[in-house]
Amino acid sequence: MSGSKVRLNTEWLCDCGGCHVAIVDLHEKMLQVLQSVEILKCPVLTDEKDYPEADIGIVTGSVRTEHDREAAIAMRQKCKTIIAFGTCAVYGGFHGAGLAHSREEIMDHVYRHSPTTKTDTLPNNSISALGKMVTPIDEVIEVDLYLPGCPPHSHFILEGLSSLINRTAPRVHKETVCAGCHRVMKKTAVTEIQDPTSSYADGETCFLSQGFICQGSVTLDRCLAPCPNHGIACSGCAGPTMQVLSEPTRDLRTEISERMSRLTKIPYETIKTHLEKSAKTHYAYAMATKMIGNKPTFLIRKWIAEREAR
Amino acid sequence: MLEMTIHENSCRGCQLCLDVCPTDCFVFDEQTQKARVAVVENCIACLSCAYICPSMAIRHKDYHQVKNFYRNIEFSSRMEKFL
Repeated sequence: MSGSKVRLNTEWLCDCGGCHVAIVDLHEKMLQVLQSVEILKCPVLTDEKDYPEADIGIVTGSVRTEHDREAAIAMRQKCKTIIAFGTCAVYGGFHGAGLAHSREEIMDHVYRHSPTTKTDTLPNNSISALGKMVTPIDEVIEVDLYLPGCPPHSHFILEGLSSLINRTAPRVHKETVCAGCHRVMKKTAVTEIQDPTSSYADGETCFLSQGFICQGSVTLDRCLAPCPNHGIACSGCAGPTMQVLSEPTRDLRTEISERMSRLTKIPYETIKTHLEKSAKTHYAYAMATKMIGNKPTFLIRKWIAEREAR
Repeated sequence: MLEMTIHENSCRGCQLCLDVCPTDCFVFDEQTQKARVAVVENCIACLSCAYICPSMAIRHKDYHQVKNFYRNIEFSSRMEKFL
């Protein structure tokens, strides 16, 4: 291996492994990347248990267990540039929904009352202890760059990595999923919120116009909009847009309600209440980040408790 | 001189910008079914259109930025780091 290559470490924390698969999704472009990158540690490729010194460190997943915390700190110590890679690393990800439950509830549900197993034993000390909270990695270590997405589309991975290697400004945009969606947004006379499990949406018109909840307009485009273009409403997997994150008074539910109430005849308050009732679903990907959790108008624990008390 | 642009490919034709603009800067192009900036001179840089646009396709350049005192400074400082 040439000494002039950029050394790369990757590490996964609490995640599904999809972000590492997304790197493999570079396909032939992987060869182009490997011309200037030397992979030293990668859980799916190398048997490296230690943390070698590297230039770039890609960390995927959030911090949920003690092991995650130690691995994140070790990566920070050995890598010059740390990229928080994927929604879990940037915002805490899907398992941020675990914050709505206590540790005991989670352990009981997974190990004791799981509908698919018959065992009734909690794991012993051979696995890493579950931390008190789910946190994005930037609450544990200093992060240099963020690349959200669940997983980020290979287009953005290549752009990010090549700009880092070539020391150029990345040509990534800050537009939302709507920007890449082909559906036509138009004003309609729809008066009720539609349930996607019991009715079909027309393939040419925007979901919001038809009364279906879609998070495309409040989600950063790091996916090239595959879901809405294939008939599935956006679930917000790449995390909120910059305006939702930076403005405390703007929120997923208020932004969607404002746009949807202008496109349809459904009142603003009806949509907002509907979103609050299904908060655990709609805030799932970014619930663990303080940028969402500390919003003055954000009462997700209350909404979920109300929902589950019924 | 203030500039305002709409990223054409991103516009979904919802006309929300026409609805919210207090100074009628936009027109709807029936042929392309997309919004277009008609009179940029009218723009007072309230940024209502930039905020309502579902695609975030509207950009302003060279305007006097009024800094919100309630903006989340901690996160705003991280935005530069987004790939």
